[in-house]
Amino acid sequence: MASREMELTGFPQTSDPPRGPLSALLGRLIDPFRRGVPPEPRPPTGFFTDTTVCIGCKACEVACKAWNELAADGLHWSGNSYDHTGTLSASSWRHVKFIEQFPADHAPSHPVPQDPTPSGTGFSLDALLNETKEGRWLMMSDVCKHCVTAPCQQACPTGAIIHTEFNNVFIQPDICNGCSSCVAACPFGVITRSSVDGHSHKCTLCYDRQRDGLVPACAKACPTQSIQFGPIDELREQARRRVADLHKRGVTHAYLYGDTPSKSYSELHSFYLLVDHPSVYGLPENPFNPWLHMQGDYVRALVGGLTAIAALLAVLLLLGN
Amino acid sequence: MQTDTRLQTSNYATKPVTKAPAWHGLVAWDMLLNGMTTGLFLVAALSELVAPDRFAAVAQAAYPVALILLLVDLLCLVLDLGDPLRFHHMLRVFKPSAPMSLGTWCLTIYSLPLTVAAAISPFSEQSVALEWVRRLAVVIGLLPALGSAVYKGVLLSTNSQPGWKDARWLGGYLTNSALLLGCAEMLVLSLLMNDANAVTILRPALGLLLVLNLVALCLLGFDLRATLSRIYSRWEVFGLSAVSLGAGLLVPVCLLLVSGSSLFMLAAVMFVLLGSLFIRFVITALPHASA
Repeated sequence: MASREMELTGFPQTSDPPRGPLSALLGRLIDPFRRGVPPEPRPPTGFFTDTTVCIGCKACEVACKAWNELAADGLHWSGNSYDHTGTLSASSWRHVKFIEQFPADHAPSHPVPQDPTPSGTGFSLDALLNETKEGRWLMMSDVCKHCVTAPCQQACPTGAIIHTEFNNVFIQPDICNGCSSCVAACPFGVITRSSVDGHSHKCTLCYDRQRDGLVPACAKACPTQSIQFGPIDELREQARRRVADLHKRGVTHAYLYGDTPSKSYSELHSFYLLVDHPSVYGLPENPFNPWLHMQGDYVRALVGGLTAIAALLAVLLLLGN
Repeated sequence: MQTDTRLQTSNYATKPVTKAPAWHGLVAWDMLLNGMTTGLFLVAALSELVAPDRFAAVAQAAYPVALILLLVDLLCLVLDLGDPLRFHHMLRVFKPSAPMSLGTWCLTIYSLPLTVAAAISPFSEQSVALEWVRRLAVVIGLLPALGSAVYKGVLLSTNSQPGWKDARWLGGYLTNSALLLGCAEMLVLSLLMNDANAVTILRPALGLLLVLNLVALCLLGFDLRATLSRIYSRWEVFGLSAVSLGAGLLVPVCLLLVSGSSLFMLAAVMFVLLGSLFIRFVITALPHASA
């Protein structure tokens, strides 16, 4: 705060800003149309989330809320494992998902000891260590995918959604008017319109921190380095090495989600290392950019209209004269 | 990489990935009013330009009605925003890649010649110059009016929502429906003005457009069949189809064929309007019903 105040002294105020309802109205009408100078492009940055080392501590959720001053959502028992956040929302830009994969009948594979004390029969450390692993936990910290070709950005009619100089997707909160086009367009269900201010919100990839050379709050807080931040090319190389390492160790199901473009979707600047189907983590199996249909849809819309116009003209010409 | 079928997994896989936008009844009304205003303008303009002797009087009454419908439609659009006081932000950029941006600009441009035509219509017979200005406004308004009708379906079909994303013919249906609605409105105006010449032409035109709209609706239904059968029971799908196709299109066709009386034609138009509104409510509800 102190350093900020020192910076501001370098910009002495020469006149009072205009006040009153008329200035406020004019400002409201004119300010959105003003353009600043776009910053010079910087090396693209992003997140690599290695779900195999996530421990579900939710430090990322807390750090995100703390840094971005997001409101608490209350505590609601969801009945879905330890996931009480539920979903990404206008006030939760990180969401830790918990996937329990255990036998359906939950029957233990070994007899339950009658005497649960360590000295009791049938209970030993060796037995515990050697018991068969019949299930597993999957945990994943979900966030905006910062798509390189982002449907939300393509859909935004106000220009509120932009790519920053770090090639991250950012919603300008002073421009968004809450039309919800971005909500409808996002194939990952990330963006949400706030019921408080009526504007859309999502992860900014800590744009303010990045501009100051800092690591995003969630990555900084992650105790296991499940969330890694950095230049996207370096992250991709790192992620591929990690997958190769996991394959060597016998985790042959490990793969990267979103690190490369598919036929129907661009690469993601927040990509994941997963060990099960994307749908298990609540991700689309094959994300599709709806804009691929736009040209054809316009043609069909015109065909529908022009056919009707042709029919109308035919009747008018036949019966009208 | 396969999920072990013996294992019970948490329920993310069964939940919809996308979030439904908060688009409800106002959007359904907007879709109807958009079709009504653009369709009325297009039909009035085309009729007047092709057969001015028969349609000039009805067309001059149609433009103020189209303007009122447009204003109500714009009110719906503004009220549906999360922050209605920022409605003018829509005009910050012109972005053809965003159907909503293209639609906003088309509606804005369309509103200008429509306002001129509506304002001059009552006085155009008093001056040749005014009449030429009115006609020029009508011609200028044709393209943006068509654009305003076209964008609405594409806006819904180019997103990730269940149902909408598969509706390749939604734009085709809505644009076709706009012309149908416009013809129906013109027919009502002609009846109210006792313009028998116009009625004689508009009645078969409405019948033909109903048949074309039936084709467009069937194409849309084919696109949506998987989504509808997933979220509704067989009987519910049957009911939706019966109301949409039967009450909205087939009954009006029959009414137009059975008799040429004003009562039957007004009833046919009423069925067309109610059927169109019903279909738009069904379309608007698709993502919410899928959730």
